[in-house]
Amino acid sequence: MPFEELEHTADVKMRITAPDFSALLCESGHALAAVLYGDFAKEPETLTLEIEAEGADRAELAVNFLSELLFLTEIEYLVPLSFSLTAEEGRVSGTVSGIEFDRKKHAGGICVKGISYSGLSLEETAEGFELQIIFDI
Amino acid sequence: MHEKIQRINETEWEIPKGFVPGMRVSGRFFLSDTLAEGIEDGALTQLANVACLPGILNNSYGMPDIHWGYGFPIGGVAAFDETEGIISPGGVGFDINCGVRMITTPLTEADLTDKQGLIEELFEAVPTGVGAKSPIRLSQNDLTLMLEEGARHAVELGYGCEADVGRCEENGAMPGADVSAVSKKARQRGVPQMGTLGSGNHFLELQTAEEVLDEETAKTFGVKEGQLCVMIHCGSRGLGHQVCTDHLKVLEEAVKKYGIDLPDRQLACAPLDSPEGKAYFGGMAASANYAWANRQVITHIVREIFVKRFEVDYEEMPLIYDVAHNVAKWEEHEAGGVRRKVCVHRKGATRAFGPGRAEIPQEFRAVGQPVIIPGSMGTSSYLLAGTDGAMEKTFGSTCHGAGRVKSRSSAKKSLTGDAVAAELLMDGIYVRASNPAAIAEEAPDVYKPSSEVVKTVSDAGISRIAVRLRPLGVIKG
Repeated sequence: MPFEELEHTADVKMRITAPDFSALLCESGHALAAVLYGDFAKEPETLTLEIEAEGADRAELAVNFLSELLFLTEIEYLVPLSFSLTAEEGRVSGTVSGIEFDRKKHAGGICVKGISYSGLSLEETAEGFELQIIFDI
Repeated sequence: MHEKIQRINETEWEIPKGFVPGMRVSGRFFLSDTLAEGIEDGALTQLANVACLPGILNNSYGMPDIHWGYGFPIGGVAAFDETEGIISPGGVGFDINCGVRMITTPLTEADLTDKQGLIEELFEAVPTGVGAKSPIRLSQNDLTLMLEEGARHAVELGYGCEADVGRCEENGAMPGADVSAVSKKARQRGVPQMGTLGSGNHFLELQTAEEVLDEETAKTFGVKEGQLCVMIHCGSRGLGHQVCTDHLKVLEEAVKKYGIDLPDRQLACAPLDSPEGKAYFGGMAASANYAWANRQVITHIVREIFVKRFEVDYEEMPLIYDVAHNVAKWEEHEAGGVRRKVCVHRKGATRAFGPGRAEIPQEFRAVGQPVIIPGSMGTSSYLLAGTDGAMEKTFGSTCHGAGRVKSRSSAKKSLTGDAVAAELLMDGIYVRASNPAAIAEEAPDVYKPSSEVVKTVSDAGISRIAVRLRPLGVIKG
């Protein structure tokens, strides 16, 4: 499993792993979608939006990318299903594709208020990258 | 309890300077013996870290519902000097002016012949949970006016009555709101979410005023034993969350620019008189005003349903009070033996001004400010009054709720939403939520007992209990 929920009293803490940094951002996007919408059936994608973010370091870039994704989910009512991302030094850009939010299908999760710096860590491991991040509930 | 913590008396504890390097003042927190058993080391460290911030006055304070938060602990209070001090989003939270309000009705529990039907109607009418869309069409101009004028503009649009405005902390609109400090992104999130509840610990609850514990205060507040009441808990929604996110980036840079030595990155801040500090204050105040308008719109929806179902008059459902429990505000207090203007941060803490303060509505001034403390879905909520003790000990502050003790993930592993809902129904509490997991995550077992938390603030003299309210039905996001 590329992401798992860890113990946290008030919020949702996630551990996310991936073989490279671009994949890590994609998996972190899936982790955010899982918190927002719970388990839901995958459907053919009907929406594609551009997404980009910058950051002074990889950890900050991950926070800013997820903040941007959270913004898009709220104003475009987007349920993200897949990502096509290119991460460079201090910047990520690409697209996120998915479907429009449907209360009957996607109400299994919880609102995320923001992406927190609390407990934030991003490490290179033998297998690639590991991100620990808290979604403020 | 950590060995370096010193006990002052039955309810007060001190974190001495030196607990973490760089503490400018001591930490002070309020816990009974029962609550002390569950205190997290992380929350105490956060309380000590706050004590390191420039310009902090008297002490860094923790209320009895203290737990680990972002930057400040939840239940954290700190006041900062006007010239030497800082302002920090970590002392306010992502949900700016998350708060709670309470209205009374002329009904009693006996009038609830179809409680389930009422809760279901409220659930359909008040948008809740992820993806909730505003029940009103808000123009950009009206959004701007809500950011500036808060609850008053909602009332001007027809969502409430004039008396509501005076029954909100700050009269429902903080001075100093700066619309230019609210980004386009924040506005984009704010327009479709006006009048929505959100999720997590936010709720709308039917309650009965089961026990009046201070007759004079309850009478002054206008609450009678047996009266049916409605409590609403929510905040500034995506707009406030975006304002926090936007300004955090700026304040991260401000820390470097002003050479502020921080023990924790989450305490990113700027001097109160700096451009960055003023901009955050302006955006935060505008978000707080949005939150007051949000709770006002939801209140209107609730009243309309009651008017239709029970044939009561709109005016027979007065707002008792509306308190903010995530905010930073300019207030006058005694500090260092001098009465001065200070910036009080309350992060999961409620203003609890004692009798006589000009900020309290005239009709309540003799008994102190109404303080609304929600319990969990299955436990009592309380109406309290602010005290002189709070003015002396905590910059006029008290707790904000029960306080979590169990994580969401462990709650979901050990409980199912359906089982929790069935158990609550056995106690006469009908719960409606967007999904079963939302009920499991907010089960009564995951919170400290609200009775113990309010007993502690009462014993500590920082609030006085007036009324206990029993839950009858609740909607959750």
